[in-house]
Amino acid sequence: MIEFEGLVKKFGERTVLKGIDLKISAGEIVFILGTSGTGKSVLLKTLVGLLRADAGRIRIGGIDVTDISEEDYLPIRRRCGMVFQHPALFDSLTVLENVAYGLMKHERLSLDQARPRAHECLEMVGLGGQDLESLETKLPTQISYGMQKRVSLARTVAVGPEVLLFDEPTTGLDPVTTKQINRLIQELSRKLKTTAIVVSHDMDCALEIADRIVVLDQGLIVAQGSVAEILRSTHPLVVDFLVEAKAREVTA
Amino acid sequence: MIADIGRCFLFCLEAMDVLRRKGVSRREVFHQIWRVTIQSLPTTAMAGFFVGAIMTVQFTMQVEMYGALGYLGGLSTSATVRQVGPLLIAFMLSGKVGAYTAAELGTMRVTEQIDAIRCLGANPFQELILPRMIAIIVSSFALLAAGLLMSIAGGVTLGIFFSGINPDEYLRHIPTIVGWPSIATGLFKCIAFAIVLAAICTYKGYTATGGARGVGRAVVQTAVATMVSLVVADWCTSLIADAIVEVSLSVFKSGAAL
Repeated sequence: MIEFEGLVKKFGERTVLKGIDLKISAGEIVFILGTSGTGKSVLLKTLVGLLRADAGRIRIGGIDVTDISEEDYLPIRRRCGMVFQHPALFDSLTVLENVAYGLMKHERLSLDQARPRAHECLEMVGLGGQDLESLETKLPTQISYGMQKRVSLARTVAVGPEVLLFDEPTTGLDPVTTKQINRLIQELSRKLKTTAIVVSHDMDCALEIADRIVVLDQGLIVAQGSVAEILRSTHPLVVDFLVEAKAREVTA
Repeated sequence: MIADIGRCFLFCLEAMDVLRRKGVSRREVFHQIWRVTIQSLPTTAMAGFFVGAIMTVQFTMQVEMYGALGYLGGLSTSATVRQVGPLLIAFMLSGKVGAYTAAELGTMRVTEQIDAIRCLGANPFQELILPRMIAIIVSSFALLAAGLLMSIAGGVTLGIFFSGINPDEYLRHIPTIVGWPSIATGLFKCIAFAIVLAAICTYKGYTATGGARGVGRAVVQTAVATMVSLVVADWCTSLIADAIVEVSLSVFKSGAAL
């Protein structure tokens, strides 16, 4: 489904990704873990063409997207919905307009025509119920950060992507909401039969819901495998992540 | 700086290319025109009024020395329409519309809203840049023209209350001194300034990086770059307009002689 081959990304003199080789199958939930500044988000942004690779190839569904134009990338991006680290909601639009944005653009629907699908997506992310009527007219600044994250997810899901990309989806959230969002990622991926790539620091969550965990360090993949394989890993960084996750579990 | 000018030029070319290939939502353009105009009309009107007033005060001192107070209206209006009015009002608009647009687009950039638009398969030039560019050009041109009209009103008012000249006398020499070449020059400058303003503020906002600090930097750069560019554009448009007027007059004269 998704293939990185010898991917290199530089920012000036600094090489952030130093030759990433990674294949992700359809329907897989893959967690990419690593310390800050190790190139996790850069990997996601390179995949959707927000950043361009300096070397190597990227293939999505068999299509080589490495050198395609910005214009040709637009339909590819619709297939790869990205949820950003911060909600990135359009702050001049209401919740409903945000969720319906993609539908209105691509399917030429009016806001009223897009409303049922937008409601469906909001319900999918746990924002349905009686409050939906009042929620849909609110601006992003009028709802909580956790709700903004959910609306952002609903907006991404609304255009029907085949791949869901999450860039540190639980940053800035309390532990309870973090758990809810993580569960949501799993449920949505299973329900919509999408591939999910989650960039995170959260080993706990990765162990709970990932099909595969990839650990990045200094722009290179230093460990990858199923949860069981990662638990057996002796790589110092993986061990650090596991120890930290265990410590948090004990504290909790 | 030269690299930045080049990048801004390429940015405008890309916007024009997207406009040609994909068009732009008229609804969004009208929405932006309405927003920019409503936002800036009172300030522009007030600025225009006082620009005219200042010119009248200045010219009163000059023409009184020669006992030519009757020419006050014509001279002050001519200077306002051709030179000072468009430039000063454009300065004011650069602070109002330019800074607002750069801050708005810059915030959208650093909060990843522009990336989100791209990720939803839409083109940010079509969705954000072109409606704002077109709206700023149309609205700024209209606002500058309205500001010039208000400057005449300001000149008349100060002429009456400061210089003690009656309105008829003030207005009498305006048509003879402020001919079509002056009005055309003034309007030509308005269009040129509107384009400069639209290009710089959208470019600076769109390319902002580095969080809140980056947005602040983009706004400051917009203000500085716009003001410098407006002065340069004023010089260029004055030369071009004068050349056109000269050629037109010589053609007209040779036509009349034949």
